[in-house]
Amino acid sequence: MMKPSFFASASALCLGLVLAIGAGSEANAAAKCIKGDRKAPYTIGWANIYSVPTWMKQTQGTIEAEVEALKKQGLVDKLVVTDAQGDANVQIQQIQSMIDSDVDAIILIAGSSTAPARVIADACAKGIAIINFDSLVDTDQVTAKVNTDSSQWGDQAAKFLIDAIGGKGKILILNGPAGVSVSDDRRKGADAELKAHPDVTVLAETNTPYNVAPAQEAVTSLLFANPEIDGILSLGGALSAGAVLALDKQGRDQVPITGENARQFLELWKEKGLKSWATMQPNWLGAFAAYTAVQALEGKDVPAFVKIPLPVIDNSNIDEYLARAKDFPTDGYIYSPYDEELFKKLLAQK
Amino acid sequence: MSTVSSARPAGALYWPVQARRNIGVRSLFVVVLAFLIAYGVLFPGLFTASGFAKFTQSWFPLALVAMAQAILMLTGGISLAIGATVSLGAVIAATTMAGPLGVAGGAAAVALTGLGIGAATGFIVVRLRLPAIVVTLAGSFIIGGAALLILPRPGGAIPEWLSDLLAGDTPAAFVLLVAIVLLWKLYLATPLGLSLYAAGENPVGAYRSGVPVDGARVAAYAISGLLSTGAGLFVAAQTGSGDPVIGAAFTLNSIAAAVLGGIGFLGGQGTMRGALAGSLLLSLMISVMFFLGFTPVAQYVAQGLIIIGAVAIPQFRKVQQ
Repeated sequence: MMKPSFFASASALCLGLVLAIGAGSEANAAAKCIKGDRKAPYTIGWANIYSVPTWMKQTQGTIEAEVEALKKQGLVDKLVVTDAQGDANVQIQQIQSMIDSDVDAIILIAGSSTAPARVIADACAKGIAIINFDSLVDTDQVTAKVNTDSSQWGDQAAKFLIDAIGGKGKILILNGPAGVSVSDDRRKGADAELKAHPDVTVLAETNTPYNVAPAQEAVTSLLFANPEIDGILSLGGALSAGAVLALDKQGRDQVPITGENARQFLELWKEKGLKSWATMQPNWLGAFAAYTAVQALEGKDVPAFVKIPLPVIDNSNIDEYLARAKDFPTDGYIYSPYDEELFKKLLAQK
Repeated sequence: MSTVSSARPAGALYWPVQARRNIGVRSLFVVVLAFLIAYGVLFPGLFTASGFAKFTQSWFPLALVAMAQAILMLTGGISLAIGATVSLGAVIAATTMAGPLGVAGGAAAVALTGLGIGAATGFIVVRLRLPAIVVTLAGSFIIGGAALLILPRPGGAIPEWLSDLLAGDTPAAFVLLVAIVLLWKLYLATPLGLSLYAAGENPVGAYRSGVPVDGARVAAYAISGLLSTGAGLFVAAQTGSGDPVIGAAFTLNSIAAAVLGGIGFLGGQGTMRGALAGSLLLSLMISVMFFLGFTPVAQYVAQGLIIIGAVAIPQFRKVQQ
């Protein structure tokens, strides 16, 4: 009785091994969504959710620069750009149009973390390389997702601020818009640190768009209500700039504040001599997405998720960033330098 | 015998009346037709079953909200809460349909919410004599907030089969739209439907003639709410999930589609077919300009020019006469 069952399990094991090896080599051969029937030069579709904000313009700038470089190598012949003007439904329609016109790759920043999932799955089934960066979609039907870790952002920001105010005090928290995943995730990331320090009191929280004016307005009204503020946990660069301006206009002393690589904030940081910390969502995520799409189409395996380490700006390296400020728009973001070597390294990490 | 003899003059009148109603929107129909032809030439895949299905699916929710706005504007009202109501419909569908309520229960919840919100808004506007624009603006915050309370961030789920049925490779959306248009025609034949135009064009005169003006207007708000949450349900099915802010853009687009379709702000002017054509043009423009290879900036300019053109040409003719 033992023998046949032993045989059966042994042969099942062997079969399993063979299948596993087979599956493994298949995964090595090509990235997800790639069927291998598309040949260079490729057409890349860039499905933007909203082209007006400066961050988006700078991001598109890095994509265009990357596409120019890939054109010179004969890998890309066309970049198709759409702008959904903030409407997730329009973005779905535009991605559908990209599928209809048979582009080879689609890179996108999603207008909703759920809405484009089905149209993206359709594109993936047609062998189109999909690289989703910045605002991600809850689906695995993509070639790769590329992003920094928003929750880590919130965590590191909270850590810096709590340290800077000596582990206790009254703080304000400035968030991006409610109901938006990035803003939500950054805020959630800060939770653990805040809970671990019960002596840190959160006076109030704001939800504003990632713009200076509304943040300044919101902080100004909070300043009237709260005569004593020890620190500001800001989870967006324009928000920080708004807060610093609000403190300044009210003649209040600046307090430790966290931020982002917005040029305006970095310049205020230097000008007001702040004690601060900032990270960034590098604009070159766009360039990296275009690069990754072409690598996948060329048959290289790419990881399903590429986590971009958060570059940190603090009082030790702020001058290096400000030295390059003139290359960036006044209301733009001074991103960390990048090159193809960095992209290769990021793709090689597992 | 008597039914036949009374039906004949009515039938003979029907088509001339319909044709006269088309006068204001004839140029819009020509523009829409031109865009349809252009789309067909640029993208021959439109004439396949799945191509046609996908095309009508991207139009469908906009068509519904255009109807939702048009029915209000015909009674002299307006709603700034349509986008928020679409979002609410979407999150209710996405949170109920995969749960114990099931698809039928979820659809009923969506429909009742839409009718309820619409009727409540209508009651406040009509009975308390408050300006619709203020009531619905405030309503949009309440409804949008409720959507965020139900689903603080995008999520939820719609059963896969329902998504495939409504937004797969079948023309289900188109069939639904045809059914809704037929229902609208039927509604116009009921007493409440007949009162709709009268209540919008000359409420005092209509009231003195015994037309249930208030009833017609409250009913219009209720139907508008139902169409909006219905659009939300469809968007949820199309995307396979719920998003508490997915509808935001529909408010302005619904007004744009209705105005483009020749519906006046003062009530009693315009036709539903105009509003539908307006919404179709807005939807077609996006795809056609993509295939023409317009850059996003050129698209902004072209969109504005087309909208002004479609609205201005009939006015221009009127002025010349």
